[in-house]
Amino acid sequence: MSRNVSVEINGKVFSLPEKTNLLKSLRDAGFDVPGLCYHPRISPTGACRLCCIRIEGLRGISMACTLEVKEGMKMITTDEELENLRRVNLEYLLSEHKDEEDRSTFDELAELARQYGLDKPENRSLPNICDALDFPSDHSSPVLTYDGNKCIKCFRCVKACAEIQGKEVLSMASRGITSYIVAGFGVWGDSECDGCGECIQLCPTAAIVEKPHRSEIDVYNSEKAVRTTCPYCGVGCQLELWVNNNKIVRASGTEGLMPNDGRLCVKGRFGYEYVGHPDRLTQPLIRKNGKLEPAGWDEAIALVASRFGIIRDTYGKDALAGYASAKATNEDNYIFQKFIRMVFGNNNVDYCTRLCHASTVTAMIRSIGDGAGSNSIADFESADCLFVTGNNIIETHPITATYVKRGAAKGQAIIVVDPRYTPLVRYAKVWLQPKLGTDVALLNGLIHVIIREGWIDQTFIENRIEDGMQAFLGLKELVSRYDPAETERITGVPARLIEEAARIFGSAKNAIIATGMGMSQQVTGTHNVFSLINMMLITGQVGREGAGINPPRGQNNVQGATDVGCSPMMYPGYIPISDKENRRRVAALWNTDVEKLDGRPGLTTVEIVHAAHEGNIRGLYIMGENPMMSDPNLNHTREAFEKLDFLVVQDIFLTETAQLADVVLPATAFAEKNGTTVSSDRRILRTRKAVLPPGEGRQDWQIILAIAAAMKSDIGHYSDEAAIFDELAKAAPIMGGVSHARLENEELQWPCPTPDHPGTPTLYLDRFNTPSGKARLFPVDHAEQNEKTSTEFPFLLNTGRILYHYHTSTMSRKSEVLNAFANEAFVLIHPADAFKRSLLSGQKIRIYNDRGSIEAIVKTDEGVLEGELFMPFHFTESRVNMLTRDELDPFSKIAPFKLSAVNIEKVTS
Amino acid sequence: MKTPDAKRRILRSGKTLWNLADALKAGSYQAFEKALGKDTQEILEEIFLSGLRGRGGAGFPTGTKTKAVHTSNTHGCSYVVCNADEGEPGTFKDRILMEEDPHLLLEGLLIASLAVRASHAYIYIRGEYGRSIERLQTAIDEARKASWLGEGIRGSSFSLDIEIMRGAGSYLCGEELTLLESLEGKRGYPRIKPPFPAEKGLWGKPTLVNNVETLANLPYIMMHGAAAYRSLGTEASPGTKLVCISGDVKNPGVYEVEMGTPLKDIIHGPGGGSREGDEICFVLLGGAAGTFASVSQLGIPLCYDALRKEGLSLGSGAIMVFGKNASLKDILQNILGFFKHESCGKCVPCRTGTYHLMQSWIGGCTNNQGERKKLLPQLVAEARNIAQTCLCPLGQSPVMPLESAMKNIIELMD
Ligand SMILES: Cc1cc2nc3c(=O)[nH]c(=O)nc-3n(C[C@H](O)[C@H](O)[C@H](O)COP(=O)(O)O)c2cc1C
Ligand code: SF4
Ligand code: SF4
Ligand code: SF4
Ligand code: FES
Repeated sequence: MSRNVSVEINGKVFSLPEKTNLLKSLRDAGFDVPGLCYHPRISPTGACRLCCIRIEGLRGISMACTLEVKEGMKMITTDEELENLRRVNLEYLLSEHKDEEDRSTFDELAELARQYGLDKPENRSLPNICDALDFPSDHSSPVLTYDGNKCIKCFRCVKACAEIQGKEVLSMASRGITSYIVAGFGVWGDSECDGCGECIQLCPTAAIVEKPHRSEIDVYNSEKAVRTTCPYCGVGCQLELWVNNNKIVRASGTEGLMPNDGRLCVKGRFGYEYVGHPDRLTQPLIRKNGKLEPAGWDEAIALVASRFGIIRDTYGKDALAGYASAKATNEDNYIFQKFIRMVFGNNNVDYCTRLCHASTVTAMIRSIGDGAGSNSIADFESADCLFVTGNNIIETHPITATYVKRGAAKGQAIIVVDPRYTPLVRYAKVWLQPKLGTDVALLNGLIHVIIREGWIDQTFIENRIEDGMQAFLGLKELVSRYDPAETERITGVPARLIEEAARIFGSAKNAIIATGMGMSQQVTGTHNVFSLINMMLITGQVGREGAGINPPRGQNNVQGATDVGCSPMMYPGYIPISDKENRRRVAALWNTDVEKLDGRPGLTTVEIVHAAHEGNIRGLYIMGENPMMSDPNLNHTREAFEKLDFLVVQDIFLTETAQLADVVLPATAFAEKNGTTVSSDRRILRTRKAVLPPGEGRQDWQIILAIAAAMKSDIGHYSDEAAIFDELAKAAPIMGGVSHARLENEELQWPCPTPDHPGTPTLYLDRFNTPSGKARLFPVDHAEQNEKTSTEFPFLLNTGRILYHYHTSTMSRKSEVLNAFANEAFVLIHPADAFKRSLLSGQKIRIYNDRGSIEAIVKTDEGVLEGELFMPFHFTESRVNMLTRDELDPFSKIAPFKLSAVNIEKVTS
Repeated sequence: MKTPDAKRRILRSGKTLWNLADALKAGSYQAFEKALGKDTQEILEEIFLSGLRGRGGAGFPTGTKTKAVHTSNTHGCSYVVCNADEGEPGTFKDRILMEEDPHLLLEGLLIASLAVRASHAYIYIRGEYGRSIERLQTAIDEARKASWLGEGIRGSSFSLDIEIMRGAGSYLCGEELTLLESLEGKRGYPRIKPPFPAEKGLWGKPTLVNNVETLANLPYIMMHGAAAYRSLGTEASPGTKLVCISGDVKNPGVYEVEMGTPLKDIIHGPGGGSREGDEICFVLLGGAAGTFASVSQLGIPLCYDALRKEGLSLGSGAIMVFGKNASLKDILQNILGFFKHESCGKCVPCRTGTYHLMQSWIGGCTNNQGERKKLLPQLVAEARNIAQTCLCPLGQSPVMPLESAMKNIIELMD
C-alpha cells in the first residue's frame, strides 16, 4: 500500500495515495474528470486527451491519466478553458464516429456526449467524416463483432488483449485518421483470438460488442446482474451474470476482486448457455420396462429410498456407495458425505478428484501436510522462476496463465516439462520433453545437478526437513546414479537442457511449481509428485511467501469437495476417519452415536467400479458426475454399472452416465444455486442464485435430505445454505472462521480457523502441517512402466484437455460459441509417424487396443514425440477413455490416463 | 562551400574524408584522444560552457542534457543515440555531413559516449540515405579495425560500439521518444513524457539523443575549448549553423554560417540571391514545422532568440526561398497534407484535427482569395486547440506555419 500525501485540488487540500495514477485517484476522490482511453487495469495511453488538467509548475495542459500522485501537487481539474478543450476533443471524436445507438453495451462516449450537450448533431461544429473514411468492420469471430465506425482508437482493446490476457492478438492497422483495429493478420476469425472477450469488456464504445444475445440486452434497463463464481475450472473467477426474464444473457468479469480481477476465459464468458438449455432435465425419471419415464418427485424419492434400503438390508451397508461432485457446492457436498456416512453408514464416498489430483494430494499430505496449493494466484506473476510440469496451463487454467504471461513479460524464467508441446512453451526459457512415464527419472536428474552444483538450501534442510541433513544424504545417495547422461538415456531429454533447467530452478530467488494431470495421472503419480517435492524442499522453495507448489485444480470445486469431506478417508477439513477421537467429535456435531460412524476407510472411485463389477457394490448414488466419460477403461465401467442393482444419478442433463440409471433426479445448475466453492488457491468463493431452475429441478442438498428422510434418517434441518455452511465451519477447522456473511465483503483463503482470522494466502510460513511440523523427503526411484508398446500396439497415447471444452463437455458443448471454436475429436500425431502410416491431416483414423476402439480426425503436429499420440477426452463420440487403463497408482489409487499403448489404422469409408 | 575555413567548425576541407586515412590527416580522433585523457566532469563542463544548442530543431542546451544523462546513469548503463532521421522537409544537412565526413560524427559519438559513460551508441538513420549508410558503415568498420571503436579503445578502459539502425520513412520517428520506440523494435508511436530520455530512454536506461550536427560540433569543442568555440556566434547561440538553402535561389545547398548572420546575408551570400528575372517574396524557415517570414523580416539575425522574438524559428536550419511563382495556397495545402499524412493517429486532437484542417483548406481552396484570407484565422484557432492537448510535438507543429503565414504574409495569399 502506498502512503497518502497531501495535494491541492481546485484550491482545497486532499490526501491521495502516493504514486497511484492521478486520474484514478481523482476519480476515487469524487472528481468527475472525463477520459475514455484510461482503464485502471492497463497502462496509461494518453490517447483521448479528455482528462486534461492544469498542474502548477508544469507548462501548458497535462493529462491526469499519464501522471502519478506526488506530494504537494497543486492542480485545477476544471475551468472554462479545460472544459472547452475537452469539448473540442470530444467533438473531434464524435466527428469520426458513427452515432448509432446500441443499447446492448454501455457506451461511455455517448454518455460523455450527453454530458457535454453534444449528443445532438446540431450542437456540433465539425462535419462528420465517418462516411468518407469508410472504416472496415469484422464479423468473423464467433464471439464478437468489430465496427471501425464506432471505434475511438483508444487502445483499450489492444492493451486488454496484450497486457491483461498476454495474447497480443490485436493491433492498430493503418495510421493517422485511417487507423482501425485488426486481429492477427486482419480477419478476427482466422487470428489467434481465443474468444476470451477481455477486449469486449474494456471497449468503451459499442465498437467491439459480443454477439450472443445482442438483441436481447438493454444495459440501461437490465433486470439484474448477479455476482457469482464461474462454474468451469478451478481458478474460481468472479463474474457477473446478467439476467433478463429468468435467462442469462451475458457474463462479465468482476473487476477489483481476486482471483481474476475482471479477467475471464472463453468458457467463463460464453459457456453459460447450458444453464437455460432445452436439454436440461426438468423432472425425475424412473426406468420402467427398460425405458426412463418421467415421474413425480414423491414417487422417485420413495423408490430411491426403498431400493437403497433393500440393498442395505439384503447385502449389508458396504454394498452402497456414492460419487460426490466437483461441480456441486461445498454445501451440497457436505450434505452428500454426511448422507453417505450417516445413512449408508460407511465411507464409500469419493469423486473425480481420484481421477485427477489424488496422487498429488497424497504426496503433498505426506511430505508437507496439506493437499492444496501453497500460494495465491498472484504469485504466478511475481515468481522469478516458474516450474510447470504436466500442466497445459494456458488451456486448462487460462486465467492463472494470464498471471504467468504477465510474469514472463517481466522476465520470469519459465521451465516447462511436458511430453507434448503446449502453448506455454512459447513463453518458456526451457522446455524439457521427457518420454511418457519418465518423470521421476527426469526430476531425479535435475536434483542430481542441483546437488552437484551446491544449489541446495542447507539452512532450510537443517531447520525445516525431518532428519535434516541425514534425510538429505539419503536423497543424494539415491539420485547419484541419475547423472545427466543417464537421465538423458531414460527420459530422452538432452543432458544440456537438464543442466540448464537445474541451473534456472536451482539459482532462482523465488520459484513456484505448478503440477498438473501429466504428473498425477500415472501409475507412478504419487512418486512423481514426491520427487517434485524433493526438488522443491532441498532448494528451500517453499515455506515462505512467493515460493511453493500448486496443483491447479480442474473443476470449480474439486478443492472444496475434498475440503468438506467427500473422501473415503477423511472427514471435513482433512480429519482422518480412522481416529476414534475424530469420530467422536463428528458424531457429537452430527447428533449421532459414535458407533454408527464407520472407522474403516471407504472405497475410492475406481475401486467402487471394480467392486460393482464383482458384485460387492449393489447400489450407487451419483451426484453431478459423469464417470461414463471420465473414468478410465469405459467398457469396463459400463459393465460394472450395468451389473448394479440400482443406480441413481442426480444431474442437470441426461449424461452418458444418467442414461444407465434406474432413477434420474433433476438438480440445479450453478446459476440456480446459493453456496460456496473453493478455488485452487484455497479461496472460498460465493456462488449466488441468478435464475430459477427449469421445471421441477431441485437443490442438490434438498434432494439428499429428502432421500435421507424417506429412509427414516434424520441428518439435519437447515433453513438455507448459509446454515449448512455454519455447520460445515464447525466440522472443518480450516474453515472455522468462515461464514457466508463474512464472504460478502472479505476474500478468505483457508486455513481461516476463527472469525477474526484474515485467512492464509501462503501455507507453511512457520511450520508444515505434518505431525512434527517439518517437511519430509521421500526419495523415489524411476520404475519401468508396465504398459509398454509392442508390435501390436506401437503407440503410446496421452490424453488431456483443450481450452474450449471442459471435462466431459456436458456443459461446454451446449454452447454454440464454444462449439464454433472446436467441436470435433482429433488425435495429434507426429508428422514422421503420419508419413510412415500414409496419413494426412483431416483424415479419419481408428485408434484401438484390447480395451476398446474409437475414431477421430488426425492432426499432424510436431508437438508430440514420435511414437506418441495425444487426444482430448471431451468428445462423447470419441470417448478416449475407452482405451485407458484402470490399473492404479498403489498409493493414491489414481488411474493412468496419460499412458496407454494403442494402435491406429485409417478408416476407409 | 562558401564559408572561409576560419569560420568553419563542422564542414572540414578535404575531398575524400570518408576514408579513415584522410580523416586522420584532417585531424579526426585527436579531440577524442584528448578527451580520453580528461575525466568525465571536465568533458561535461566543457560541453556545458560551450553553450552548444541542439541542432535537431528544438535548440535545447546540449551541455544540460548531457549532464542530465550522466547524473541519471547511476547503474552503469546508458546509451547515446544519434538522430539521423532528417525528416523535416527542406532539410539535408545531416546527409551531407554523414556522406562527406562520417568520421566526424563517429568522433562526436565517441566524445558524447565518454561523457555519459555509454558503451553502446546507435545511429538511427533515415532509410533512404543509402550513401550515408554505406559510408558510415565503412567508417565504423575502419574505425573498429584501427581501435577507434570496440573493446578498450586505444588501450584505455573505455569501450564503445556503434550500430546503425535504418528508419522506415516515418517523419514522426525523428521525434526522439518515438525514435526510441522504433529503435526498440516497436511501432513508431510517441511515448508519454515525462520521463524524458535522459532519465528513461532506450530500454528504460538514461539515453542521450542528439542530432548529427550537434554531435559533429563536439570534436571542435573538445579540441579547442569552450572559449574558442564561443568566439563565433552570439552569446545565447554560439558557434555556427548548417543551413539548407533551397527553392528559388541561384545556389541552393548546405552552408555553414556563423550564428547571428542576418538571413538576407545568407540568402544573398552563399545562396546567391534570387534567380534571374525572379524576386524573393517570402521564406519558410525550419521546414513544415517551421515558420513563414516576409521579405521585410530578412534582416533578422539567424539565431534562436532573435528569431523567437519575432515569432519565427530556426528549426533544423532549412531555409526555403519562394519567388514570384510560388503559390502560398498550394504550399499551405502541401504542409497540411504532410501533417495529416504523418500524424500517427494515437491521440485524438492531432489524428482528427489534422484531417479537418486539411479538409477545410481544400474546401477553402475552391473559394476565392478573400474567403481564404478569412479562413486562415479559423485554421489557426483550430491548430492552436490541437497544439494545446495533443500528445507529442508533431501535433503542436501545424500552428507554426499557419500562424506565421497569417501574421507575416497573409497579403501574399493567392
Ligand atoms: C515530429 C518530429 C520530427 C523530428 N525529426 C527530427 C529529425 O529528423 N532529426 C532530428 O535530429 N531531430 C528531429 N526532431 C527533434 C528531436 O525530437 C530531438 O529534439 C532531437 O533529436 C534532439 O537532438 P538535439 O538536442 O541534438 O537537437 C523531431 C521532432 C519532432 C517533433
Ligand atoms: S477476445 Fe480475447 S483473445 Fe480475442 S482479441 Fe479479444 S482480448 Fe484478445
Ligand atoms: S475497439 Fe473499442 S477498445 Fe478498441 S480502440 Fe476501438 S474503441 Fe477502443
Ligand atoms: S500529436 Fe499526432 S503524431 Fe503526436 S501522438 Fe498525437 S496523433 Fe500522434
Ligand atoms: S484518459 Fe487521459 S488521455 Fe485518455
